Amino acid sequence: MMQPAIRILVVDDESAIRRALRPPLIELGFQVVDAMRGEEALQMLRAGGFDVVLLDVNMPGIGGIETLRRIRAFAPRLPILMLTVRDQEQDKVEALEQGADDYVTKPFSMRELVARIRTAVRRVRAPARAEDAPIQIGELRLDPVKRKVAKRGQLVHLTRKEFDILYCLMSRAGRVVTYARLLTAVWGDDCREEVEYLRTFVRQLRKKIEDDPANPVYLLTDVYVGYRFADPQMFVEESDEDVLPPAAEEETPI
Amino acid sequence: MLLALVLAALLIILLFARLRSSAREAASWGRQLRDLHEFTRRTLEMNLNLEPGPQLAELAHEIFALEFVAVFDADLHQVYSAGQWNADPQELARNVYYFGTSDDDPKAGLGRRVVRLGSAPIGSLVVRGATSPLTNDAIASLIAIAFDRYRAYANESRIETERRTEQLRSTVLDSLAHAYKTPLTAIRAASTGLGEMGHLSAAQAELVALIDEQAGLLGNLTTRLLTTARLDAGEITVHAVPVDVAPLIEEVVASLGECLASMKVAIDIPDERLTLECDRQLMVMLLTQYIDNACKYSIFGSTVTIRAVKERAEIVFSVRSFGQVIPINDRERIFDRYYRSTTRSHRASGTGIGLSVAKRVALIHGGSVWVTSDETEGTTFYAAIPATARKGVSL
Repeated sequence: MMQPAIRILVVDDESAIRRALRPPLIELGFQVVDAMRGEEALQMLRAGGFDVVLLDVNMPGIGGIETLRRIRAFAPRLPILMLTVRDQEQDKVEALEQGADDYVTKPFSMRELVARIRTAVRRVRAPARAEDAPIQIGELRLDPVKRKVAKRGQLVHLTRKEFDILYCLMSRAGRVVTYARLLTAVWGDDCREEVEYLRTFVRQLRKKIEDDPANPVYLLTDVYVGYRFADPQMFVEESDEDVLPPAAEEETPI
Repeated sequence: MLLALVLAALLIILLFARLRSSAREAASWGRQLRDLHEFTRRTLEMNLNLEPGPQLAELAHEIFALEFVAVFDADLHQVYSAGQWNADPQELARNVYYFGTSDDDPKAGLGRRVVRLGSAPIGSLVVRGATSPLTNDAIASLIAIAFDRYRAYANESRIETERRTEQLRSTVLDSLAHAYKTPLTAIRAASTGLGEMGHLSAAQAELVALIDEQAGLLGNLTTRLLTTARLDAGEITVHAVPVDVAPLIEEVVASLGECLASMKVAIDIPDERLTLECDRQLMVMLLTQYIDNACKYSIFGSTVTIRAVKERAEIVFSVRSFGQVIPINDRERIFDRYYRSTTRSHRASGTGIGLSVAKRVALIHGGSVWVTSDETEGTTFYAAIPATARKGVSL
């Protein structure tokens, strides 16, 4: 019944950050190991036994992005969350393109960090969702086979492209999807720069699926990076947080 | 520089013309002309980083073989002299300037001149030696030119110095902002970590929430400083892309949710399909600043109206709110960096940086900003941005 404790490797050159993260993470039931550099982290990871890596982007030595690239070379599925700074959007996009699962922007709240860690780990541990199984998140239900979307049981009329965007985001719920990736998935490689095009579609989509399109709860913007469909866990009672979610809410691993 | 050369040339031509009419003094004139030519050349080569007075006094003394020379620089309030005489050069030169005496005393071998630039007196010259009145005129004119060149140069280097100071300040701001990030991240992780760990009493939880909130404010300020520093240093590259106005405004309003919670917000975009070519990120900054400003300075619970309309080739954004009227004297300067109204009632939390950022954003798009303010119409901040980015200009 109980899942084994999640083992986290925290990689950050700033000791203040390592010291701030350690006590709450341990208190919340995680196992925490620290590394000060990417090089050190790589050695530890090769020995194995970690469930998730928190990896700072700006570190002396080989730095976060290169560390990420090297980890991916031998651990393609290990969840990796990047710790980034707000004004360096390019780093976020770069990290995502290099295979990071997600990023957390400094300064982050512990709640946000823990939620991201759990989402990333859950995704790997969960049994694969059947490709054509319907996805239910909050009050939205998407059926990939019938290409239908319903909200509170009411059918929502979407154009083909709107459906494609929504499916792409909902099947990766909880994680950011970069503009380039979303554009490529829906329109193909030639359109990966047409972000404004995408914005227009997202705006239409929000009008159809959100109660208040100006304050979306489902289709969220990751400023300058991409879009993120809300984490299914956000719609589950808080007290259930530590319990493995029902199979219907699992996501497809990429 | 060019002007100085032309003036010097004119002066010499003038002297030549006079020379022809008095052939008797030809021999003496020939030497004085050569000296004048030398003086002109040497003053043009003068080191403009140093005060001109001492150099001019020394040059005149040496070249014209004067017994004594005093030069008064009215701008620097300094008298410079070279050579020996039993008179007080200070008083002598200052009196010439203040009483406007330009004359020659051939018996005493004394020449006095007010140094003028155009008609404005800018100093004086006293010489004791064998130079003719005409040569004294010429020396005075050349000194005027040298003073003028020095001022122009000093002004130029002052501007350059200011530019460098600004650049240095930007760099310092930038590194400061970065240095703040780590401690802030640790504080925020620690305070929210305490909250997540639970077991806190209500009072403890309240204090932890306060730490978190204030660290958040510090974080936002840091981010703003960083962006401003980059804007100032010209390090921001502007990527103009077609942007839909309506979602742009909606996004900004959504991001300001907390600050707008106490206000009524009216968005007025008559043309739903309005678009413009701009750097989205920078435009978000501009609008955020305007709307945030409207929240801070308006009456609690009043309406903030955000409008965007096309007027000829420009999209005019406006944010209207009701609060204290901005005094007319402040309306221009309110967009200046670090300017905060001296009227106490206008003060609110802020750095005095925000509106200058809005102005810079508008300017680099080739647009403009302004504000109107009165009792009945409220206060409206405007930003007019060209709908189409200038062709060929990599903004």
